[in-house]
Amino acid sequence: MTVHDMKHAASDSARLEAVGGRLSRVDGPAKITGAAHYAFEQQLEGLAHAVLVGATIAAGKVTAIDARAAETAPGVLAVLTPDTIMELKGASDWFGNPPALSTYCPLAREITFSGQHVAAVVAETFEQAVAAAALVKVWYDETPAIVDLSDGKAGDGIPIDAMTKEWGDAQAAFAAAPVRICAAYNTPREFQAAMEPHGLIARWEGDELTVWEPSQWLDGMARTYAEWFDIPFRNVRLVSPYIGGGFGSKALALAHSAVTAAAAKMLGRPVKLVLNRPQNFTSYGGRAATRQTVAIGADKTGRIQSIVHRGVNETAVDGMWVEPLGSVTSIMYATPNFSSKQNVVRVNTVVPGAKRAPGENPSAFGIECAIDELAHELGLDPLEMRLINYAEQDPHAKKAWSTRQLREAFAAGAEAFGWAKRSPQPRSMREGRQLIGWGVAAGTYPVRRAHGEAVVKLLADGSVEVESSSIDMGQGTYTILAQTAAETLGVPVSQVWVKLGDSHFARAGVTGGSRLAGVMTGAVYKAAGQALNELIGLALSDPLSPFHGLQANTLVVRNGRIASPRGDGPELAIAELMSMLGRERIEAKGDTVPPSFTPEQRYNNYTTIAMALPHTEGDYSRYSWCAHFVEVRVDEDFGTVRVSRVVSALDSGRLYNPKLAESQWKGGIIMGIGQALLEEGIVDRRHGRIVNSNFADYMLPTNADIPDIQTISVGIPDPHSSALGGKGVGELGIVGVAPAIANAVFHATGKRVRDLPITLEKLI
Amino acid sequence: MTSQIIIDPPEDGHFRNGVATKGLTPSPTTLSLRLTINGRDHALEIEPRVTLLDALRERLHLTGTKKGCDHGQCGACTVHVDGERVLACLTLAAQVEGRTITTIEGLADEDGTLHAVQAAFLEQDAFQCGYCTPGQIMSAVACIREGHAGSDEEIREYMAGNLCRCGAYPNIVAAVRQAAQELRS
Repeated sequence: MTVHDMKHAASDSARLEAVGGRLSRVDGPAKITGAAHYAFEQQLEGLAHAVLVGATIAAGKVTAIDARAAETAPGVLAVLTPDTIMELKGASDWFGNPPALSTYCPLAREITFSGQHVAAVVAETFEQAVAAAALVKVWYDETPAIVDLSDGKAGDGIPIDAMTKEWGDAQAAFAAAPVRICAAYNTPREFQAAMEPHGLIARWEGDELTVWEPSQWLDGMARTYAEWFDIPFRNVRLVSPYIGGGFGSKALALAHSAVTAAAAKMLGRPVKLVLNRPQNFTSYGGRAATRQTVAIGADKTGRIQSIVHRGVNETAVDGMWVEPLGSVTSIMYATPNFSSKQNVVRVNTVVPGAKRAPGENPSAFGIECAIDELAHELGLDPLEMRLINYAEQDPHAKKAWSTRQLREAFAAGAEAFGWAKRSPQPRSMREGRQLIGWGVAAGTYPVRRAHGEAVVKLLADGSVEVESSSIDMGQGTYTILAQTAAETLGVPVSQVWVKLGDSHFARAGVTGGSRLAGVMTGAVYKAAGQALNELIGLALSDPLSPFHGLQANTLVVRNGRIASPRGDGPELAIAELMSMLGRERIEAKGDTVPPSFTPEQRYNNYTTIAMALPHTEGDYSRYSWCAHFVEVRVDEDFGTVRVSRVVSALDSGRLYNPKLAESQWKGGIIMGIGQALLEEGIVDRRHGRIVNSNFADYMLPTNADIPDIQTISVGIPDPHSSALGGKGVGELGIVGVAPAIANAVFHATGKRVRDLPITLEKLI
Repeated sequence: MTSQIIIDPPEDGHFRNGVATKGLTPSPTTLSLRLTINGRDHALEIEPRVTLLDALRERLHLTGTKKGCDHGQCGACTVHVDGERVLACLTLAAQVEGRTITTIEGLADEDGTLHAVQAAFLEQDAFQCGYCTPGQIMSAVACIREGHAGSDEEIREYMAGNLCRCGAYPNIVAAVRQAAQELRS
């Protein structure tokens, strides 16, 4: 089923299929023909449909719900309210901390944000459920809401001491520095906006629950369901074969998930619930709005003496989210004095969540704009400014970088972009009425690591199965794990079947923070190696084997055929050998978990994020790096900004499949273009509602907004970051894009916009 | 400050949030429809308010056509009706009786040979998560057929109605360009 069978000569296949080869997606044919069934597209007998009713106030309480009209509407099976839905147990959080309350009601009596679910209608058809949901009457006592960070009632918030990073005497050194800049940078509430909405189908059989739900973390979500319904972990099966985009949003079981599973249990029927598009803006958190102040003091040669950074992000009234705003600030540049502190401010919103490169993304917007401002103040080229202050080691952890190809990224990007031809003065490059600006910014993301496991099976017909409860939401997990297993075992990719997205497979932790490829290639490499050793061991020792008595120390497998490395003796296909041995399968479970782990530690390794390995563990500090070079064209009369060219050079270490890695990088860059120019959740100041909760008003980049994008890989294998030498890919690409665009807009117009998105009214 | 907000459907049966309230709740009457989809006839007994998209996904189990927004804003539900691209979420199933409907499931040849656009999407890696992809491909086939794939600029403009959050746009342009060349030759 793989494309290389159709498009490439056999001689190309080995090169494409090897780890590091540009193999097309093995799950591609299913996706381009409509054969790929996403989680909530499963067809089940007796399926009922649920639709949610959301709060129309942002703060207060529900005083009464009249469900009579809805209950008697055609096809309605049940109307669930806080009073009628079954009681659930409280579930632990994603760190594994026990719940604050012993019980949980996923429908709210106390309202803390607009859109919060207050009722659900279940009916025979989707249309009946939608119609009946509009008949549910809800009465509220409304209290004043804190609508966003700029609300007068919001206050300064709560200090998060764990975010404080300080060395030297930053305030004094800043005050004494001969050259100083200080500015405030804001990013708005932004949304992941995956094309596939959140939703699920839940089905109970006795006390066993099956949930078909798009998921970035099957094991973590299965744990939550098990705790809500007080059933053993193994009684929950989560299925998520394909995920229509997540970008951080699909890692947790949420209130609507609990409502659906409860409805299915109460009705004794499978229930499907899919959030409509507006509900996808309020049922889970996007990126928190942020405010930062960055002050940099430097000497007259441009060498930084001090960085003082203060940050704030919004969080929910009844939930905590910290967007680490000092993460890039503290490591990008060498400085003898540094101070970063952060507060969070509670507002009436759903609790914010992870969106592509949480923390690093807004952090880079602050520091990478500020460094550009400092370069302008000093009359230095912004690229030279960055090289003058290049951090030769991690300035915070005071450890050597595992690998840092950032200098190489600056050089390769500048060369490909033609940076040397940049005219330094703002407003000095134009074409007719279009002002042209060139900007640069750097980005980074830590290498998040974890322990993993995988099962590899050699089957009687010579095919190979790889099983893992990890997932593929477009990063290419199916493909790179097929490449890893094929290369390790010595079989063609066309003989390998990768099975993902079922929590009853070998366990996997969260797919987030760009950790999956490194964890899973390592686990599959190990499992496939064990399966190969077992095959060779049997071939040499089993009296039924034609290799028995060959006196060989080992055998080799190439292109699915097994032989002696000396060329003597037989050569036969794996299937033939399996048949002679009378074996149906050889199965190996490989893991990278320390042998000392107890079963409970293993369980926590996969179902919480508490066991992740620090990126500064041991002697090294591990990060991916990138440099973005951007050209913008700004209409002098109308202030419209178009990105006309992007060249990005990126260090993600070794790439397991450059074709797919480049796609992810470009995807991150494009999301960064949206962040810079288009995306902003707008809150109605009267009612605390997101007023642009749809794809017409919350503007995502379209094809017409995106120019040619050139990506250049400058990475080298990093043995300290992963088993096969890769670092992170998916999160990296977006980090630094928005500041590169903001810096280019300044170069084009002479106007510094420090408030994202950079819309035309801010330029005219 | 305490105020009481009453969420009460008007008794006169006017529309509220785009949904008919009780006075207008359709009667359980269903329509008998015969839809021609991918060369095959399908009989359906459905309410008049069922969209083509929900008929495909929930009744006929043709889930290749995706629901992204249900409001005609994302393009994920793009199908062909009499050869033209149409948003299935803004089309009632009852509107397309007697017309020729093609979905992503019907694009490849009977023997499984991929359409040139599908093959180009695979080769150019013009998708990641794959959720917008059927709509992108159906739009791309129409875009080429309409004669709107003459340049990269033109492709970008005429493919702008199909959102892709994974950001496969440059690869989509490359795929449409490649397929257009192959289909011309």
